[in-house]
Amino acid sequence: MNGSGVLYLGLRYLRRNRVKTLLLLAAFTLVWLLPAGIGLIVAKVEAQLRARAVGTPLLLGQAGSPLELVFNGLYFTKPELATLPLREVEAAAESGFAQVIPIHARQSAGTHRIVGTTLDYFDFRRLEIQDGRQLLRLGECVVGAGVAEKNELAPGDAVISTPGTLFDLAGVYPLKMTVVGVLAPTASPDDEAIFVDLKTAWIIEGLGHGHDEAEALDEDQKLAPASPGDTAVRLNASVVEYNEITPENAERFHFHGDTADYPVTAAIVIPPDDRKAALLKGRYTKAGGLQLISPAGEMDELFATVFRVQRFVLGLLLAIGLATLVIGALVFLLSHRLREEEFRHLRHLGADPATLRALVAFEAVFVLFVSLLASGAGLALIHFLAPFVIGKLLG
Amino acid sequence: MIRCKKIDFRYPGESFQLSIDDFFVGKGETVALIGPSGCGKTTLMNLISGILTPAEGSVTVNGVLVNELAVAARQRFRLAKIGLVPQNFELLDYLTIRENILVPFHIGAELRFSEEMGERCEDLAERAGIAAQLDKFPRQLSQGERQRAALCRGLVTSPPLLLADEPTGNLDPDNQDKIVSLLLGEAARIGASVLMITHDPLLLPRFGRVVEVGKLRRRGGGA
Repeated sequence: MNGSGVLYLGLRYLRRNRVKTLLLLAAFTLVWLLPAGIGLIVAKVEAQLRARAVGTPLLLGQAGSPLELVFNGLYFTKPELATLPLREVEAAAESGFAQVIPIHARQSAGTHRIVGTTLDYFDFRRLEIQDGRQLLRLGECVVGAGVAEKNELAPGDAVISTPGTLFDLAGVYPLKMTVVGVLAPTASPDDEAIFVDLKTAWIIEGLGHGHDEAEALDEDQKLAPASPGDTAVRLNASVVEYNEITPENAERFHFHGDTADYPVTAAIVIPPDDRKAALLKGRYTKAGGLQLISPAGEMDELFATVFRVQRFVLGLLLAIGLATLVIGALVFLLSHRLREEEFRHLRHLGADPATLRALVAFEAVFVLFVSLLASGAGLALIHFLAPFVIGKLLG
Repeated sequence: MIRCKKIDFRYPGESFQLSIDDFFVGKGETVALIGPSGCGKTTLMNLISGILTPAEGSVTVNGVLVNELAVAARQRFRLAKIGLVPQNFELLDYLTIRENILVPFHIGAELRFSEEMGERCEDLAERAGIAAQLDKFPRQLSQGERQRAALCRGLVTSPPLLLADEPTGNLDPDNQDKIVSLLLGEAARIGASVLMITHDPLLLPRFGRVVEVGKLRRRGGGA
């Protein structure tokens, strides 16, 4: 057999029939790639979601969708999640059954979530400052490695929060925050978050603000007393609020009302042992309006559903794949019929039987081999793009 | 060069039978095969080339008993020793004319392509008047041009035996003369024997010998 001759003739035949060849290649590539690609994406999503879920013992949040609570508390999505007052977080901490870390993930700066929390969060997630220092004052932020890379941020730069709505009549202004630290990459949602102190998060939400001393303001910036004898100074909307917290104005930032009533979206609850975890869970099964959930358990339920759907989809793909393979086989068979005259010509010229057999098989082998290669390349691309795709899915 | 002895051939399921007592073509000899349609000219040529094998008798080409060879060996023998110019050209439609002429170098292990072969292909195409068509596909050529391309393919390997089945059938008289000149000239240059089927009496004087197939057939062996 003349191997190079088979390659020479086979490739020329495919080149001359390139439309048919490309259609066959596309069909066969999809047959291999779709089930494998779906499996790969699901496996990667599962691995990523489970890793973070398993690393988070319990989550406390307002009653509602447990899955949304998991997504907010772990991945900082679902900012519209119902909040719970800080008082409940403090109560859980004071129970002595667990360490509790509040999470406030409602605001954002561009596409990055601003996460208000305490320093305990960094210890709990083993987040290390790669450049700069940890949060010390109001108005400071520490950014994840992904945020720093995408926005070319370094300590000393500034990040501005994005108002919830463009025409916010409540007057929640964007807050300019100073980047004081950049976290080491962790390949987790923490890379894409901007971390601030809980109070800074409340200021961004408009629950706290800073402005010049009321006594130093002009009279036309003050409201008339509500009643005769009312000595409280009330200011009107002409008073300009600070849009940046600096060492000079930090003391003029304040909150009205009791901060224990201020919202957090979730709280990470870390009981020291299973007994205390069970006791704590017992409390919240009865407590109205709140839920204490195990993220790993929620993920198990989520993936049980995902796998059921995946099995169904794979079954459909298998049926479609089999149909495609049968059609492909038919195409090869018809192609062979159409080429019988060509093979007879080659036989007349003196092509040996092995060369003829190889030529007959070449088209099918080529399509199968190249479609497998293309599927491999597709899988590599999915593997490469998976973090981005998963980010989009979670977003 | 060629000797067919006491051969009998019958197509399965058909009444046609070709029976020849003795047929001989010497080395370097040029022979024109003539006869009415259906008398067995192409069948005889196919028996000599090993495309068909006789039920009885022997076909010897270049000292090799062709009909005794196994299929693969017979194919290899034909590729290496016989230049075939079929009546219906047998060009591959997905190859250019250049690739078609050079196709014998890609279908077996006996012949290896070299740059020299590429030059020979261009030289033959030039002499056959199809040099400008080398990079076109068969469907872009006229019948006559395809015929000449098939002739160039038969000659490109410089085989010791050339079998041509009406290679001038699709050509005008001027081109017929050119093609026969090319065929016979090239055969003389490489010392090849030529066996050519033709219906054109004007071409017969150019051959060393003219054989009427009907007269070769044994009595009682006709259709």
